Amino acid sequence: MSLSVYLPLAFTAAFGLAAPALARTLPPAVSTWLLSGGGLLAAAGSSASLALLAFPLIARTPVLAARGRWSDAVLRHHDPVALPVGVLAAVAVVLLAARFLRAATRRLTAVRDAYHLANSLPHTGSELTVLDTGELHAFAVPGRPGRIVVTTGMLRSLDPAERRALLAHERAHLNHRHHIHQSVAHLAAAVNPLLHRVPAAAELSCERWADEDAAGICRRDTVADALTRAAIGTRIAGSAAVLAAAVTDVADRVGALRRPAPRLILWRVALLIGLLAATAAAVADAMHDTERLFELAQSAYRTRHP
Amino acid sequence: MRRAKGSLESEVLAALWAADGPLTAGDVADTLEGDLAYTTVQTILTRLHGKGAVRRELTGRAHAYTPVLDDAGLAADRMRAMLEKGADHAAVLTRFLRTLTPEDEATLAGLLDQQRTSGES
Repeated sequence: MSLSVYLPLAFTAAFGLAAPALARTLPPAVSTWLLSGGGLLAAAGSSASLALLAFPLIARTPVLAARGRWSDAVLRHHDPVALPVGVLAAVAVVLLAARFLRAATRRLTAVRDAYHLANSLPHTGSELTVLDTGELHAFAVPGRPGRIVVTTGMLRSLDPAERRALLAHERAHLNHRHHIHQSVAHLAAAVNPLLHRVPAAAELSCERWADEDAAGICRRDTVADALTRAAIGTRIAGSAAVLAAAVTDVADRVGALRRPAPRLILWRVALLIGLLAATAAAVADAMHDTERLFELAQSAYRTRHP
Repeated sequence: MRRAKGSLESEVLAALWAADGPLTAGDVADTLEGDLAYTTVQTILTRLHGKGAVRRELTGRAHAYTPVLDDAGLAADRMRAMLEKGADHAAVLTRFLRTLTPEDEATLAGLLDQQRTSGES
């Protein structure tokens, strides 16, 4: 238990650091799944670590010791976790659980509102809703079915091929349910601040995925042009002030589209999957150690209370 | 180029919205870079008209189509309300572009210059 309980935290930190590089170097469909799935696993693994660090300490309280029929003296003597570490872990579990619940409530409300919005849009049986305004916006609204919303300002600033690229891009967001990947990444970061770079990386990864999908229908340069022109139009229209600041990676995306599609670098994927597997194995090992500690404490309790 | 039925419809509708005035099926087919047959465009326009998504009037021998503004104004208000509810709401709507940061603006200015230079050369 001495080491394996800390390993998931170390692996989670490593995963959090590697996240931006993943989004930039792997094919975006692969990196999106790795970021959301890996983020989820790292968040779960590191939470399990914190819980395992805190539990032997909490279990020593007389109420729990009596209920669980284990000897608090044995726990005190054999718990390899130092008292301050246990206290710190307990505090972290409570704070992070609260953080997660808050983030999850907000995000679920947002997804539910988006579904309502998609349902409330004028239903002509077509995926596209056009808003007649000069502002430059294009959205994918997740729902059943999802909807694509584009302003006339945006449509007029693009040529026909670029419009096709834009529509293909938004359609890709809906088809691949990117809002779920992004929400999972967001919640993973809420569970563990070590993963704070994962949401932005997942966001870039989803945008890149949608760009690559569009590039499968149009030419790569057309998608890059559409993106550049829309960005420049947004800049000129000055609508940047309308929405709260959020990082865009327009330049990264345009740059990636000017190069050939990224190839799958197998050793990087293997390394990452290895890291995630090691996290799971370390959690299992730490759980096993904790179980043994409690078995010992319970048998001591039984000899004293026959 | 193979495209889904729904995506063709969106492209035709987008072309009508982007135009300054009414378009005939021939105009739309020309706009869409000629990779769509006239008859296909005609079929899509008839379907859109059936749904009430476009209005048509007879100009000479052909119908000219204009997109219908249903309660899109209401939709725009709902959209803005959704965005103003906060960062989570904005994040769920996956946008083509997010708000630009000053660094983005600098990069874009660079890209714009590049485009101008390559356009001149």
